[in-house]
Amino acid sequence: MISDEDVGGVHIKYLHHCRRQLWLYLRGIRPEHLNATVQLGEAVHDSSYPRHSPVDLGAAKLDFVDGHQWVHEVKSSSRPTDADRAQAYHYCHQLARFGNDVKGAILHYPATRRTVRLPYTPEATAQAEEDIQEVLSVATALTSPDRLPRNRCRGCSYIDYCWTE
Amino acid sequence: MPTAARTYWLTSPCRIRRKDESLVIEREAAPKVHIPITDVRDIIACAETDINTAVVSLLNRHRISVHLLSYYGDYAGSLVTSDTSTSGQTVLAQANLAQQPSASMAIARSLVDACAFNVRRVVDRQLLTAPYTTLQASIKEAETPLHLMGAEGTFRRSAWEVIDTKLPDWLQLHGRSRRPPRNAGNAFISYVNGIIYARVLSAVRLTPLHSGIAFLHSSLERQRHSLVLDLAEMFKPLFAERLLLRMASRKQLKKHHFDTGTNQAMLSEAGRKLVVQTVRDELATSVNHRSLGRPVAYDELIYLDALALTRHCLEGTRYKPFRIWW
Ligand code: SF4
Repeated sequence: MISDEDVGGVHIKYLHHCRRQLWLYLRGIRPEHLNATVQLGEAVHDSSYPRHSPVDLGAAKLDFVDGHQWVHEVKSSSRPTDADRAQAYHYCHQLARFGNDVKGAILHYPATRRTVRLPYTPEATAQAEEDIQEVLSVATALTSPDRLPRNRCRGCSYIDYCWTE
Repeated sequence: MPTAARTYWLTSPCRIRRKDESLVIEREAAPKVHIPITDVRDIIACAETDINTAVVSLLNRHRISVHLLSYYGDYAGSLVTSDTSTSGQTVLAQANLAQQPSASMAIARSLVDACAFNVRRVVDRQLLTAPYTTLQASIKEAETPLHLMGAEGTFRRSAWEVIDTKLPDWLQLHGRSRRPPRNAGNAFISYVNGIIYARVLSAVRLTPLHSGIAFLHSSLERQRHSLVLDLAEMFKPLFAERLLLRMASRKQLKKHHFDTGTNQAMLSEAGRKLVVQTVRDELATSVNHRSLGRPVAYDELIYLDALALTRHCLEGTRYKPFRIWW
């Protein structure tokens, strides 16, 4: 279905948020463009950092890489999640694969004016590789993973799909 | 659905032009209206509308469809964008179900049942109890979609008769007639059904389903979007029959809302405006959704139903077509 080179930041984010979401996403269920919170995310991108153009690296999309080999990512949420961190390591991993001497990632949270520095360590590399394999195993699963407990779905753009009865 | 983007209803004759990333609506004897493209979810043109290539390409890029309702009160067609949300695996699963007679008949049965349930709910529970029981028995026995449609037709005829007892003479249906509608009541129903068809088409196109693969209506019909016909079944009564009865009893509908000839009728310009306004307000009415635990607009119910069918196709979860629960 997909190979390890196709695994991008969105896959990693969904893997950490909810495997069912990843499974659905891989099957072309993309309700996120309907979701108001996602639109808000796009608006933040458009207005907060207009000077930098995004770098397109195959499946991974970075906001920008600065001159010191740090990857920068702008987030519309207010605080870092596991998924944010995993995604950041994934981008570092992608860059490293293309021979860049990447130092790590810096996550920007304009909503709370916070930034988080994540150095790219050997442990981070191991996690990034493991995550890619996990994505592939969800991709090949024949049946959909179960829903999360309802309260953990809050804010997920798949809520309408998963919870309409 | 996005809160920023809205459905635009064009109720008087106009021309749509493009100015950069905006649509400009030009009407005779009225100021131009500029609408940023990101503000538009879709457009329902209820009156003569001119549109050009520059507009179409902009609409296409933003995945915005335009639904055209003819002057004579019927759904005339749509400019649907070439880009859809269909997903290969979902469409395969949908096609698979549609080709398995037992699976597709199960869906078709539940559609007909839900439609009749809703008709009965809005027309008269008491008087339609017997016809509904008969229908349910025929649904069980039906072996093909054609049988189902026949049974539905019988039930519908009983419903039209009951509706007529609740309408003033001049609005009575005397059976259903379309293309052209024979009388005012039919003109009303056709027009509202046309709007609902357009809404369902918009909703289906937001899901990964293929609008041309259906369960009750034949996928081979001249009509390209046969799945839209399937899903519109349950929603037509919520709008057409229900609003006809309500507007009649509140005496909101007047003779001047219709242009009537000897054997045909259509909404007049004033009638069209009134009906569009009413349906539009109705689509925005919300009810509390039980499983989602939040208020949901009628318009969104259509989309949610299409999503539930998507889930049925892709994951085999049971599909219970929309029934009025309030
Ligand atoms: S709604 Fe819940 S179960 Fe469904 S994808 Fe989102 S988090 Fe997962």
